[in-house]
This record gives sequence, C-alpha cells and structure tokens, in this order.
Amino acid sequence: MTDKWNITLRIYRQKENEAPHFDNFSMEVDPDEYVLDAVERAWAFHDRSICFRHACHHSTCGACGMRVNGTEKLSCITSIRDVTRDGATLKVEPLRNFPVVSDLAVDMGFFYRKMELAGARPVLPVPEAEIEHPPAEWDADDTQYIRLSDCIECGLCMSACPIMATTPEYLGPAPLAAAQDNGLKRKPELLSLVDAEDGVWRCHSVFECTAVCPSFVDPARRIMDLRKQVVGARLSKLFGKA
Amino acid sequence: MSQSTFSSSVSAPRPGETTWLWLIKIVTGPLLLIVLLLHFIANHYLGSMSSGLMTYDDVIRYFQNPIIPAIEILFLITVVTHSLIGLRGILLDMNPSRPILKVVTWLLVILGVASIVYGIWLALTIASKGS
Amino acid sequence: MNTTRNQPSARKFWSWFIPIGRQVGGWAFALNRITALGLTLYLFLHLIVLGLLAQGPGAYDKFLVLTENPFIKLGEWLVVVAAILHGLNGIRIVLTSFGVGVVRQRQLFYGFMIVAVFAILIFTARMY
Repeated sequence: MTDKWNITLRIYRQKENEAPHFDNFSMEVDPDEYVLDAVERAWAFHDRSICFRHACHHSTCGACGMRVNGTEKLSCITSIRDVTRDGATLKVEPLRNFPVVSDLAVDMGFFYRKMELAGARPVLPVPEAEIEHPPAEWDADDTQYIRLSDCIECGLCMSACPIMATTPEYLGPAPLAAAQDNGLKRKPELLSLVDAEDGVWRCHSVFECTAVCPSFVDPARRIMDLRKQVVGARLSKLFGKA
Repeated sequence: MSQSTFSSSVSAPRPGETTWLWLIKIVTGPLLLIVLLLHFIANHYLGSMSSGLMTYDDVIRYFQNPIIPAIEILFLITVVTHSLIGLRGILLDMNPSRPILKVVTWLLVILGVASIVYGIWLALTIASKGS
Repeated sequence: MNTTRNQPSARKFWSWFIPIGRQVGGWAFALNRITALGLTLYLFLHLIVLGLLAQGPGAYDKFLVLTENPFIKLGEWLVVVAAILHGLNGIRIVLTSFGVGVVRQRQLFYGFMIVAVFAILIFTARMY
C-alpha cells in the first residue's frame, strides 16, 4: 500500500512584466514520487500556465534543475519524502543567478556560452574520462569507446556558487570543470581563459558547487586541480621551459 | 571558435598578474600566522610583570633587541599585503568596472605602502627611544 | 521578458554573509569573509593607536587606561577569536588549493573548527 501525503506545493510564479509571487497548491501525493512529479501534477490538474522545464526524468538531461526548499536539486530524482513531511509545505523556486523566462524556467544562454568557451566535451573517449576503477593500462583500441561526460550542464552549481551571485563575469564551476577536463596540456589555449581574474582565481573554496552537483563532477576538486595546472604552466613559462 | 561570437554577456577574459597575486596571498597567510603567534606571545608574556608589555617603558625596553623591530616589520609587511590583496579580491567578486577597479587598486597600493612606511618609521622611532 | 530579476548583481553581496539554505562550505565562506573584514578594520585601528607610542609615555599610558573598559576587552577578545577562526579556515584553504584534503574537505573544516573551539577556550581562560 503506498503512502499518501497531503502537502502544500508552493511554486514561484513570474510572468512577463508581472511581479513575482508564490502560488500554493494543496495536493495529495505519494511521498516516494519525485518533486518534478508534484510540479507536473500541479500543472496538469491545477494550473496549466505553470511553466517548467523537464525532459528525461532520470538525471541525464539536466533540464529540471530548481531550488527545492531553498537548495539546488534535480527535481526528477529528489523524492518528496526527502524534502518535506506529511502536512508540510514544499517550496519550489527557479535556480539563482539565471534570468527567469517564466515561472521555473530560466534562460541558460550565458551559461552555455561559457561552456563553449571552455571547450566542454559532452562526449569523450573512455580513457580520458575520470571513471571509478579504471584499468591499470588502457589498450590503444579503447579510445574508440566513448562515454557521456559526467557534467549534464544542469546549472545547479552556477546557482549555488556565492560568487556567481555577485558577478556574471565569473566563468563559474561547470565551465572551469570543463576546462579542467580538457586539461591545459591537451588545450594550452585555455590558459589565458582560466588564468584570469574571472577564471580560477575568483573561486573562494566554498565547495557549494560540489555539494549540489547531482552528477559526480565535483567541480571544486577540478578547480583546485586546474589551479595547480595554471601555476605549473606559469612557473614553466617563467623558467623558460615553455 | 572565436570569443567575439559569444561576446554579448561573456566578455573577453581579463588577464592580470592574478596567479602571482594569489600566490602572494596564500603564502603570506600561513607566514603571518607564525609571526602573529610570536608577536602575540611576546606581547603578552614578556615585560616587567610577566603578564605582557603593560607599560610604555616595557615596550621601549622590548624594542631594544634589534630582532624585535625586524620581526615586527616583517609582520607588518606580511599582514598589510595579505589584507589588502584580500580586500581587492572581495571587490573583484562584485564585478567592478575597469576604471573603478583601477582607482581602488591604486588606493589600496597607496594605503599599503603608506602603512608600511609609517610602521617602519614607528618601529625605528620606538627602538631609538631607549638609551 | 522580464530578465532583470534573478541575475547576478554586485548588490547581492549581502547573500555572502547570510548562508541560509547553504551547506557547510557556505558557512565557512561567510565566516572567513566576516573575520577578514573585521581583522582588517582592527589592523588599521591598531596601527593608528600604536602611533601614540611615538608621542611619549604620557599619551600611551593614558590610552592603556582606556583599554580597561569592558567593551574594549570584549572587542579584543573578538579580534583574537576572529584571528583563530580566519587562520584555521585559511589553512584549510591552503591545503585544499594544493590538492590536500579536497575529498574530505567537510571533515577538514569540522576538524579545524574543533581545534578552534579548544584554542578559544584556552585563550579565554588564560587572558581573563
């Protein structure tokens, strides 16, 4: 027998030229369903003007990122049971730091442009991907096998980063992680992009990006590693090795 | 892939001496922790009553040993550098315009140099007061 | 399209200091930034006050009497607490910046804060 909870779903609403506000929807939900399911139900049965993004419903496309009770989550894999109780409120808001297009849907344009600048690879040869338990040695043939990169470009990290809140010029966790994934050895032209005031040096080790990433990218660790690469590259240049 | 294609909200990267500035900040941090500890212990455990440099005379006497002004000046340079580079970093987090950044950087440099010059003068003056 | 809201803006700097809804790293960042500003203010006040030493015994000893004021004593205590917190947090940042302790950075922070609590207790007991 599945549980039934009565919750109040509180959704951020903002349409063009209107002031933002919250709409409350009382609904009966199965707590083992996901937050995205509740939002969809509110759209289907209560208010067809709710605007939100969703696609795969299994944490691969990165479309459904939103703030659930103030914290960035992928709503398709966040079960209702984990974020609220029977009889309580479930607040859903759009991601921080992105312009709101309508309700929960935000304009991700400037983020995608940064990912392109960093040369983000959505697909990479398996030997270059960071995977758990790689073999001690790859065969030369193994490069023919490709893998989706961990980063699904959901933007949760960009929303969680406190520096992203105050400056749109900062590259941001995901683009810097993408640059690290490329590596300065493979792509030395990235050096001037990341060794800049709005590149790796704007990061203040807050680690919120890693804390909210739903996809094991661990952007903070990658930024620290990228810093080592940058310092290494600069020292090499200084001592004339480059 | 030319950067100008995406120039609408992503400007060209602004390079600067940022690697070196950051390295200076991160090296002066632990360095000043060590000097701070020395400074704190000396100030609060030496002196006429073993409870620290409690009077004007205590301070003058303490400064007669030449290693003391040397350490204090080292501490001064380290802490002023660390603090002002940090302040500039906080400003950068707020995406200042290039002109504002230039002005503030210059103000911080002037403040830093002035503080260090003042501090060196002060340390040497105090040291010279004992005779 | 009302795109002026919800965008990055320098005016949101207050959000650095109110890490509600954030995880431990956000709180560490807020703490580090607040202590940095407090210590910087103290640094310059301290430098100015020490100038009194150059004016001779009268001026300095008179100032020392002022420092007996309990509010000043509280301020001095806060400065040392801020230095302990900022210093230990700073060591955490140095370590993680060079790749040490990145995977366990949360535990690293908690560990340093426990050390900080002990240091603050010991300092308080010895000075007051």
